[in-house]
Amino acid sequence: MNGTLAVARYTLLELTRRRILLVFFIIGAILIALLGIGLKIFYSAIVSGTTSGPSAPNLTPEQTNRLVEFLFVSQILSVLSIFGILIAFGLGMTAIYHDLESGAAVSIFSKPVSRVAFTIGKLLAAVVGLVAIVGVLALEARLVMYLFGGGLENALWVEILATIANTVVLMLIVLALSTWMNNIIAAVVAFIYYNVVAGVLVFLHTLADQGAIGNEFARFAINVGYWLVPHNLTSSALHDLAQAQIEISSGGPRAGASNLPAASGIGDVVWWAFVVLFFAAMVYYSVRRRQV
Amino acid sequence: MAAVVTVDAVRKRYRRRDPWAVDGVTFELEGGHAFGLLGPNGAGKTTVVKMIAGLLRPDSGKVLLFGTEPGNPGARRDLGFSPEDPDFPKFLRAREVLDYFASLLGLDETERSRRIPETLEFAGLDKERRQIRQFSKGMKQRLGIAQAILGRPKLLILDEPTADLDPLGRRDVRALIDRLKESGVAILLNSHLLSEVELVCDTVAIMAKGRVLKEGTMAEVVPQGRSLEDVFVELVEASAPPRDQLPSFISDKEKG
Repeated sequence: MNGTLAVARYTLLELTRRRILLVFFIIGAILIALLGIGLKIFYSAIVSGTTSGPSAPNLTPEQTNRLVEFLFVSQILSVLSIFGILIAFGLGMTAIYHDLESGAAVSIFSKPVSRVAFTIGKLLAAVVGLVAIVGVLALEARLVMYLFGGGLENALWVEILATIANTVVLMLIVLALSTWMNNIIAAVVAFIYYNVVAGVLVFLHTLADQGAIGNEFARFAINVGYWLVPHNLTSSALHDLAQAQIEISSGGPRAGASNLPAASGIGDVVWWAFVVLFFAAMVYYSVRRRQV
Repeated sequence: MAAVVTVDAVRKRYRRRDPWAVDGVTFELEGGHAFGLLGPNGAGKTTVVKMIAGLLRPDSGKVLLFGTEPGNPGARRDLGFSPEDPDFPKFLRAREVLDYFASLLGLDETERSRRIPETLEFAGLDKERRQIRQFSKGMKQRLGIAQAILGRPKLLILDEPTADLDPLGRRDVRALIDRLKESGVAILLNSHLLSEVELVCDTVAIMAKGRVLKEGTMAEVVPQGRSLEDVFVELVEASAPPRDQLPSFISDKEKG
């Protein structure tokens, strides 16, 4: 336990000194602030009638404010997702790789610490680092939302939890790959696997679910593929936001956001947990076999 | 006295098609003794010490550290290992590295606050505030020795400990080895510097191509009137095909 905590503590200290993570964090923070302020200025301009925008002539200033707020929250979720991915790559590429490659692992492993304790410490530090950075960005987003009066906290928080869960998986894939290949190659392979292959399969699965793919064999193959790759967890936030925007714009309840993916079910959460455990075990297996 | 290290008919190769990096090496080391492991580059010395430190697993044979498998973390509690070309987490400072390793060794706060400043002073790094990534090779070497003695080990393995040190640093390492030997610590010294080995080691083993060519006390290995270097060169050259001393383009007298 002491060994795990020592590894986690000093890995976190190291991560706080890595410029690449600091750069991602600062750019993300600036982007969120600019997005909020920009949209607020845009809203003010619409209400004062100096520009045209999403405000239809029949919308009240309150409805316009709400619409811009929905727009802001949608954009914030995209920004957090993108920076979550960048930070996951940054953490995954550095948390273990440099210790194994530089020879630092030789001194560490000659101490009375097991490789399982080392691996758990590293994983703990990486996850805490990821949650802390994305969490602070989310907190900033929440503060910026005060510009609009708030009221969408739940949508934001649940989706942020899903974003963190997704980026943890990506980070674990990069970590697992970086224990037995160059970390840049590991990041590229992880990107292809997680964002391209899994992304395409999840998209096809959504189409198949909506009945857009009629061929039985294709549907079966897509289903099998879908359960072989990690797939992003989503909350109902994106769906609800889109629905609310449609309702405000059209002046009442109306269907229209049904083509957006629904919130993940219990099966997806169980699959996520399995994928996390699988890749964490992969990291341990690689560290255990590693000859330093 | 019980052996601190037992290496018994150990064989190791890194890949199945590779030749044996270590082929049937056997020796024992007791407390209060200094054992020198000598050999040319690629002889298998570092592989042997890495197996003793639990970093590599032998393919066959047996390695025991304080009577147990070195892969067991508990067996490494009394081990101090200063690797060849040591490196450390590069964004930490020397004091933080020692605190990190003290935590891994399970030292409490009182011991840490006593040992870390003294160890840093011994290594000449007490005033150093830069991160490891800005350290020279010599500074890393001194930190490598510092972290190895931090836990007051009963076995100290030094793999080329003075390769990047200045003469003063070398003198300090020799003094350290002598002092530790007196207090009953076993020393395993891996070095190319034969004069240094001759000064501090009680017994030596000369290795080449993964095998021990000769082993014994210094008096047994080095006959009267000869030096360790003479014996080393003779043994190593006898085990390898003769080769030209210099490339032909250097030794050619004719130019153009």
